[in-house]
Amino acid sequence: MCFTQNFWNLVVSGLYDGFLYALIALGYTLVYGVLQLINFAHSEVFMSGGFASYFILHALVGTNQPTGLASVGYVALGVLGGGAGGAAIAFLLERVAYRPLRRRNAPRLAFLISAIGASYFLYNLAGKEFGRNALEIPTLFTNGPVFSVFGATVQTIYVVTAIAALIMLVIVDRVVAMTRLGKGIRAVAQDAETASLMGVPIDRVISQTFIIGGLLGGAAGFLFGLNAGVIFTMGFTPALKAFTAAVLGGIGNIRGAVLGGLLLGIVENLGVACTQASWRDVVAFGILVLVLLIRPTGLLGEQLGRAA
Amino acid sequence: MKRSIARIGAPVAVAALALTAMGGAGLASASTSHASQPTYTIAYEGPLSGGNAQLGLNMKFAVQLAVSQANAGTTFGKLAFKLKFLAADDGGSATQSPSTAQSLIGNKSVIAVVGPAFSGATKAAEPLFHAANLATVSPSATNPALATQGWSNFFRVVADDNAQGPGDATYAVKKLGAKKIYTVDDASSYAVGLVQAFDQKAQQLGATVTHQEAPGTTQCQAGTGNVQQYGALATQIQSSHDPVTFYAGYYCDFALLAKALRADGYSGQLLSDDGSLDPHYVSEAGTSVASGTVISCACTNLTKAKADTTFSSKFKKLAGFAVGTYSAEAYDASNTIIATLKKLGTASIKRSAVVKGLHSIVYTGLTKTVHFQKNGNIAGSTVYEYKVENGNIVELGPVNQLVG
Repeated sequence: MCFTQNFWNLVVSGLYDGFLYALIALGYTLVYGVLQLINFAHSEVFMSGGFASYFILHALVGTNQPTGLASVGYVALGVLGGGAGGAAIAFLLERVAYRPLRRRNAPRLAFLISAIGASYFLYNLAGKEFGRNALEIPTLFTNGPVFSVFGATVQTIYVVTAIAALIMLVIVDRVVAMTRLGKGIRAVAQDAETASLMGVPIDRVISQTFIIGGLLGGAAGFLFGLNAGVIFTMGFTPALKAFTAAVLGGIGNIRGAVLGGLLLGIVENLGVACTQASWRDVVAFGILVLVLLIRPTGLLGEQLGRAA
Repeated sequence: MKRSIARIGAPVAVAALALTAMGGAGLASASTSHASQPTYTIAYEGPLSGGNAQLGLNMKFAVQLAVSQANAGTTFGKLAFKLKFLAADDGGSATQSPSTAQSLIGNKSVIAVVGPAFSGATKAAEPLFHAANLATVSPSATNPALATQGWSNFFRVVADDNAQGPGDATYAVKKLGAKKIYTVDDASSYAVGLVQAFDQKAQQLGATVTHQEAPGTTQCQAGTGNVQQYGALATQIQSSHDPVTFYAGYYCDFALLAKALRADGYSGQLLSDDGSLDPHYVSEAGTSVASGTVISCACTNLTKAKADTTFSSKFKKLAGFAVGTYSAEAYDASNTIIATLKKLGTASIKRSAVVKGLHSIVYTGLTKTVHFQKNGNIAGSTVYEYKVENGNIVELGPVNQLVG
């Protein structure tokens, strides 16, 4: 009974959450694909994108709310600015926190510690520099109900997020499947040593992989910040959930990350329909464990190269 | 061998000499100041770092101001003792607060404490303060259970949630005429007590209450929750069609919930408590979303009373920012302690004497006449309602007058 009440409403807002998870999850999955490494500082890539877009839009828009085409333009600018901020930090992270370790053939655990250290450093720095209260991205459009599907209200911000996310997800999918860069990524993911023997510049491919993940994560930071504001702690839970989504879909698998993200968003929302908001994580992680018990490699398996 | 001993020996001897010299000087200066005037330290314990630091700073500077004014003789005339101020940071957390309390107890010059600021931190630290018989006067810890533990050294200058929760419920049912109310708490020990008191009173007055717990988010550093939870929560509230939603918690999460509700098309009245009484609620939710929200507090508006304007301007000069929530209460708490010390006279005052003295003191402060009940609660309890209008938070008045 509780499940059917508000069913479509919860699915729609779950999809919105899911698109954000999917964008962030791709960063985890791509990096895992080429390095077999979980980039635990990805939450701060997400945060950096949020702050970058905040500063750009704050300077350009201020308190005047744009309308019509200008709104669309500013949203696009926010996505690009957030993406650029995220990409810059992701690139730096790879250079400073991972590449030196890779050169020295450090064990996997060292990468993990390095990632956690970088994450702590970045979010504390952001808290110190930008303050401990949420900063509001200027209003770019009036958020409210736009239309309804099966009686579920769809808000402006859902539409904006879904469109932006879909465009980016399709582009990334095509880039990895069809371009020379994508071929490099897939080659390194399958067998880094052989790829380098075949003339693939591994360092450059890894850098580019971080940049792609950073672009998506940073853009997600902007889309998230549009609703919730940007603050130094913003990355923690969304990134943890996105990591969950990546594992759910099959880590290292691009379409798996998208599927995992969308599913997790919907499942979380429907889970609380029958319980309370405080049970959200219990439901979500319970389902994750169940899925992994049945399919240890996630829903779509884990090979980046073959599935893409 | 000999040389090396000499080499080690010489610096040691010099250091020892220096130490004796310093020790001697220290003793001498201490004894001279003791002979003329004893010095007591009034400490403040609250969050000075972390996500809720602003609330803590609002109080810290008020205590500091009260101490410096008393020393200058502006508030109590010439005193027979000197006062010192000490700020102790407990991060507002229950885990940190016992060690903070222990350091204050260990400092023999501390005669009384203003604070702890938060209910959870107070609950954790008070057994230690009680064992040391060190008086604590909290400007802001409102959890009702704090007054029921038999801590004779515990005092607070604000009404507890047993006053605020029912005050809000009375306002919602009698003034707003709500028959159905949706209540949400952020799972903090403050909010849980508050929402229970609210629910009970609202049901007593004949309203139907639906309650849900949504843990404070990591984004707001207020718990383990996720910002995304508010989408689904807003859907559930919206589909309930309850005309009033009451949120027990702090401004950061309340702003997120308010935004989600309005975006979902919910048009009911939003109601919250003193944790949300902060201009950041308006800036984070946005003026159009926040507009019309009613927020309660057992504290009164500062800029209203005339006597407060000197306090406000002095505070701003010292702190560098304007008075905020609980600044005036902290100022009153400090002055209540100072008034007690003054009454105790010139002889060297013991911690236990301050506890005893506070039980009988009557002091007229900025916010109210401070007089404590036996359990440490303030006598009399007025709850005020505030409303967000044109981006500002304005006082509507005491609940009992509003309801009429």
